[in-house]
Amino acid sequence: MARAATAAPPASHATAKNGSGKEADLDIKKLDAKKYLRFYEQMVHIREFEELCDHAFRQGTHGIGGYLHLYSGEEAIAVGIIGAMDVENGDAFIGHYRDHAYALAAGSEPGEVMAEICGKATGCSKGKGGSMHICDAKLGFYGGYGIVGGNVPIALGLAWAIKYRGENRVCACFFGDGSMNQGGFHETLNMAQLYKVPALFVLENNGYAMGTSIERSHANPNLASRVESYAMEYHVINGQNIFEVHEQVAAIVESMRTNPRPVFLEMKTYRYHGHGAADTQVTQSTYRSREEVEDWKTHRDPIRLAEQALMEAEILTEEERERIHTEAVEAAKAALKFSDDSPDPSPDELLTDVYV
Amino acid sequence: MAKHRYADALALALGEEMDKDDSVFIIGEEVGQYLGTLQVTKGFLAKYGPNRVVDTPISEVGIIGLGIGSAMAGLRPVCEMMRLDFSLPAYDQIVQHAAKIRYMFGGQFKVPMVIRGPSGVGRQLSAQHSQALEVLFAHIPGLKVVVPATPADAYGLTKAAIRDDNPVVIIEALRMYFEKPEALEAIQPGLSEIPEGDDWIANIGEAKVLREGKDVTLIGYSTMTISCLRAANLLAQEGISAEVIDLRSLLPLDMATPLASIKKTHRAVVVQEQWGMYGIAAEISAQIAERGFYDLDAPVQRVTGAFVPMPYSKALESLAYPHEEDIVVAAKRTLGGK
Repeated sequence: MARAATAAPPASHATAKNGSGKEADLDIKKLDAKKYLRFYEQMVHIREFEELCDHAFRQGTHGIGGYLHLYSGEEAIAVGIIGAMDVENGDAFIGHYRDHAYALAAGSEPGEVMAEICGKATGCSKGKGGSMHICDAKLGFYGGYGIVGGNVPIALGLAWAIKYRGENRVCACFFGDGSMNQGGFHETLNMAQLYKVPALFVLENNGYAMGTSIERSHANPNLASRVESYAMEYHVINGQNIFEVHEQVAAIVESMRTNPRPVFLEMKTYRYHGHGAADTQVTQSTYRSREEVEDWKTHRDPIRLAEQALMEAEILTEEERERIHTEAVEAAKAALKFSDDSPDPSPDELLTDVYV
Repeated sequence: MAKHRYADALALALGEEMDKDDSVFIIGEEVGQYLGTLQVTKGFLAKYGPNRVVDTPISEVGIIGLGIGSAMAGLRPVCEMMRLDFSLPAYDQIVQHAAKIRYMFGGQFKVPMVIRGPSGVGRQLSAQHSQALEVLFAHIPGLKVVVPATPADAYGLTKAAIRDDNPVVIIEALRMYFEKPEALEAIQPGLSEIPEGDDWIANIGEAKVLREGKDVTLIGYSTMTISCLRAANLLAQEGISAEVIDLRSLLPLDMATPLASIKKTHRAVVVQEQWGMYGIAAEISAQIAERGFYDLDAPVQRVTGAFVPMPYSKALESLAYPHEEDIVVAAKRTLGGK
């Protein structure tokens, strides 16, 4: 069966149903408590990491220049999906420029990620890539890319290599709603379906391509339905709910191993910060209201939703909650300290790594 | 040594590398069932199967993206562009991704891919199918660009490109594809020969003196190398001894070989098939000026194509790219002629 949409896509982003764990059919108590505590902890760590990045950028003394795209608000997607993959045994994933969280969710060293953001020699990309070009080859993270939609055709090749070798691996490709209006996206989806490669196309639909809303940029605002033209299986998932994200995606990933095929996911989500650090409150006011941001933060925050559900299920105690938050703040600070204590790249590094 | 046509040399190289290494595969438009638009991959689908000879939709961005990702994952894709002109929709994938991935990720990945296809002018294919776009690739750090002129290099550089761990663009000389060995031998004996045995491959980044001479150095690449050899034959009839250098690779660029030649001849003509503005010949000339100025007895001459989109009519097309007579005139200019 080529088409297997599990949920009727909502009519528009604004009316997306974004329930808590309570609203879903999932019984939290029946799930793997340890795993979800770990996911919760990871989400909190990512949030604190990103918030400290924002702070450090504005301080201006840590070496963060250029662009800085923060993932706050979208944590359940990276954590829930990468958590469904076996990154130490050949599963691959590739992202875009809002990429710190992918590395952190896979288990990259936070200090090396922070040092990269700050342009230090100890950064994962030796200070040559910066915030947009985090990667971790040993964990199958093929990197973050700065060109909207540019990573999508590369994901086709990563998935092709899996198929070529006859492995039961998958490749996840994260991209935003803006990517869907690039030509290469459509060439890729057509070819992925034609060749039946095990690629998981993950649309992080946060409602805006920089400052342009879905309604202002997509003739058909029902984004997942656009892949119907490639006869590709798709699912629409509430990206704010870690339980829904992970349970659904884990089942899809496992089915892709035995039945290799591309699958498209539309994750409904929201970013709290501007598009990048240069997208200030002033520029954001041209495309969205503070009330809208606050509404998402208050009612659909992935960390808050997970916290409520885990506490109601008596998996997370108040004491644990406090410990996790305190440790996350400390871990982020330790990452920044590691970066601050690291040297700049040596001048010799200017000309290395151009060629093998 | 066996004599070959250029297109057959390409096929030989591709087949040998596919036989040798299971990670090598070919992907492109009409490479399989159609037997290749120019028959380079004729018989490949039957021999290697659809996993290694991959027919694609007309989707160059997808083809190159598939190549990049699979190369990062350890395969060795050969992405065929039916014509190199068609790589332009995928220029973003080539320049912004393939070329930069190693550097911007601090050396964590390599991209051992080949992008190859016929290029160049002179077949009445008009404006959109007759370009010599090597300049667009040779400007980009992270890419390698090779420009085989002879069957030997079509063979040896293709093999070297496939084995290279970097993204390599092979600019194939369309006008040379089906030149008969006898015709090449008539220009210069040995021109259609491919060294046999011992798994010979060419070294990327080495220019070569194809004909020795003492009065003037003619520097060319791809089809223009052959035009330089023809020009050298004409000059010889007038008692002028021209040395011909085939650049073979534009990135990396071997300047030591032309500079050593100019030390001997004190005169240089640089030939480029198409647009001279900001071109390959300009780069070579500038490096000669910087590094060989005191060896020169005359200003370096450039011979380049007309700065126009390629016209269709044979009468006009022929005026739009250099011929051996143009090279002869330029060579004489360096020797004090008009």
